[in-house]
This record gives sequence, structure tokens and C-alpha cells, in this order.
Amino acid sequence: MTRLVLGAIGVAFGLWGVFLLLPQDLPAIGLWLLAGPVVHDALVAPLVGGIGLLVGRGLPRPWRGPVAAAAVLTGVLGLLAVPLLWRPFAGPANPGLLDRPYWAGLLAAVGLVWATALVVGAVRHVSRPRPGG
Amino acid sequence: MRRSDPHLAARVGLWLGVAFGLCFATGLLSHAAQHPPGWFTWPTRPVSLYRITQGVHVVSGVAAIPLLLAKLHTVYPRLFQRPVVGSVRHALERGSVLVLVGAAFFELVTGLFSAAQNYPWDFFFPPAHYAVAWVAVGALLVHVAVKLPLWRAAPEPRRATLSRRGFLLATGGAVAVAVLATAGASVPWLRRVSVLATRSAALPVNRTAAAAGVRRVGDGWRLRVGAREFSLAELAALPQTSAELPIACVEGWSASARWTGVPVRDLLALAGLPVGDVRVESLERDGLYRASTLPAAHAADPLTLLALRLDGAPLPLDHGYPCRLIAPSRPGVLQTKWVTSLEVR
Repeated sequence: MTRLVLGAIGVAFGLWGVFLLLPQDLPAIGLWLLAGPVVHDALVAPLVGGIGLLVGRGLPRPWRGPVAAAAVLTGVLGLLAVPLLWRPFAGPANPGLLDRPYWAGLLAAVGLVWATALVVGAVRHVSRPRPGG
Repeated sequence: MRRSDPHLAARVGLWLGVAFGLCFATGLLSHAAQHPPGWFTWPTRPVSLYRITQGVHVVSGVAAIPLLLAKLHTVYPRLFQRPVVGSVRHALERGSVLVLVGAAFFELVTGLFSAAQNYPWDFFFPPAHYAVAWVAVGALLVHVAVKLPLWRAAPEPRRATLSRRGFLLATGGAVAVAVLATAGASVPWLRRVSVLATRSAALPVNRTAAAAGVRRVGDGWRLRVGAREFSLAELAALPQTSAELPIACVEGWSASARWTGVPVRDLLALAGLPVGDVRVESLERDGLYRASTLPAAHAADPLTLLALRLDGAPLPLDHGYPCRLIAPSRPGVLQTKWVTSLEVR
């Protein structure tokens, strides 16, 4: 019953959204609706999977967690920075908005993430259980 | 080949559902504040209400980005299921997931770019973002309805680089870092930490006088209120009110400042006008936000000012000289600058 009601509300919401979309620029919006799943499945997911495989197979056990986590954080920070760094379609500049040194900020944040991963990895490496120890 | 992990997918899915729920609710509020239906009155208190709801909107949207990627990662093998479609039921289920993923990416990507005032598309952002939000949340509800029994799925043994606990820790860490890196646009004490925040100054300008086509304003300027006219000197001679009020932009950044000016309700009283919805017009010739309608509740509020001064100094041209509207708890685009007339409708 709960599931039926949830599903019915969901369908109603979706149809309302489609109705609101009808008078809008459907080809342009449709392109951006499809782009997400296509770019994710064709580009992001294989990249993440490949890096995961490299980390899982190529690194000693104590290093895998910290390096995988640092790679995830680097990816997320990089994605968040795209609209700030790639701006051929941006509006005119405004005083006090969108004028921070984003390259420097991104590098600092990523540097901090990898420094933390190095420290955590080193601690785990030193304190790892040793055979016969 | 790694299998999907329903137990983990349900945990990350719950977090993602909370983020989407917050984002949707605050988005609807923002829409209602800007296009109020007849039955709706946006409250004037607390003065930071819109600052808070819109800050939550953008922060929860940013938090949803790593959560959506993590969620897809937990079910990654299922995205390439063969056969593509097995039965009608299966087709409907997969179709709803495609709609959900497409709409979710659309909302997060367009929202993130729009917060950066960056528009690499041909459609008009606000109505598209609003309509697709209904599609995304509708598809999300259908997805929850379909998958609800899996909530009780027992954890299976996991073969992956990260343990289940490690995966949740990395996901939570990514959410925390994403929020810390951006939230300084609205949270003052995070401003120096948030290296990817949009706001850099204590009080930014979202539309300069040059962009609005407003040049020097001369002595001939008059504020028209109904049938009465006021020169700048006459406005400055009226009793002044000072208030600490935020500018809260729909794009998520917000900043407080001390504004001094004449309460709008005093001006309406001087002109012999009743308090009602007030049409506020600007010197700006065109542009989407050259005029705004101040709802009656805001017009009656003693803190709704036509500000002449900002932080004790005369209002700079970019902030709306000779006078601008500043009302408590309103979207920034409706705080009209370079005001020329007030008209009760």
C-alpha cells in the first residue's frame, strides 16, 4: 500500500514536471537531460573503475584506503571547480563575486587532501600487523 | 566482476534522498517567494529566512553531487545489465531509473553552473531547473516505491578496494569536503576556508550600474510615490531607520550589511497611500529584474527600507544610488536598485 501511494505520487510529480517542460526549449533541455547518464556511464564510471582497480591491485593493503579516498576527494573538488575555471559562457564579471584565485584554491585543497592521505597511509603502514610479529 | 551492493546502495540512497528532499523543499520555497501564488505569504521574519532557505538549497545540492556519484558506484554493474529490457515491468523500472539519473544530473549540473553565473546552454535556466526538479523527485519517489523491499537486504560479503565502512567514510568525507569548499559563499566564518566559494567580498555587487545601463544620477532625480515626488535631500531629511539586513541571492551567496533609509510604509503614509502590494520601478531600462512587486506584508514591515546609506556612507552607484529597496527575508533579485517610483496596486 505504502509503495503504491509513493509510486502514484511520484508519477503525478513527474507528469507535472513534464507539463511544465512542454512550452520550453525541449531539444536543448533534452540534450542536457541525456548528457548526464551518457557522460557518467561512458566516461566517469570506467575512469573510477579503472583507478579503483589500479589502487586495489597495485598498492600494498595499508595504502589502498587512504589513496582511494584521496582520489575520490580530488575528483569531487575537481568537478566542483569546473564552472569556476571554465567560463567561456559566463556573464559579465561582478565585483566581489567569482573572482577568487580558484586554481590556487583548488591546488591547495587537493594538496591538503593528499598530504592527509600520506600521513594516514604512513601510520597504517608502520602499525600494520606483521607475520609472526 | 564486482556485483552491486543493495545494502550499501540503500544506505547511500537514504543520504541522497535527504539531500534531494531538502533541495526540493527549499527550491519550492524560493520559487514561491519569487512567484507567490495568491494563497501564499512569504514571512518577513526572521530577517535571514530567505538567506537560510536558499543557503540550504545550494549546500544540499552541492552535498548531493558526491552522494549521487557514490550511489551510482554502488549499483554500477547493474547499469550494464543484459538483456537491456527483459519484461514490461523491467522496462518500466529501468526507464524510471534512466529518468531519475538524467533529471538528477540535470538539476545538479545546471544548479552548480548557475551558482557560478555560467550558462553553457541554450535554454532559460529558472523554469527548466524548476520543471526538471518535479521530474527528478517524481522519479525518485517511484524508485523508492520499487526498491523499498531491498531496504532490509542483508549485507553480503564484499569484494572491493574499499570495505563497506571505508566506502561510507570516503563518501561522508567527500560530502564534508565539498560543503566546506563551497559554503563560505553564505556562511561568513567559512569564507576563508571555502576555496571554491563564489563570494569573495564582504558585500558583492551582482549587477553593476554599467551592466544595468545606469550612469550618473543628477540633481533632477525624483522618487515618485503615488502622486507625490521626493528629491534626495527631502528623503534624507525624513526620519531614518537603520537595520542590519542580508542580501541573499538566489544563487546561494549572501551577505549582511547595515542599511539606513526611510521605511517604505512611512513613504506610503506621506503620499496618502494605503499599504498594499507595491510596484517598485528602477532607473534600469530593461532587464529581467528592473522592477519588482513588494508584497503587502513586506510593505507594512518597519524594516523594509528605501536605503540611502550603506554601512554609514552614501549608497555607492553599484549598490543602487540614489536609493534602493532593502527588505527583510527576500530574494536578492527583488531588492530593486536605482529606485524611481513606488506605486500601490
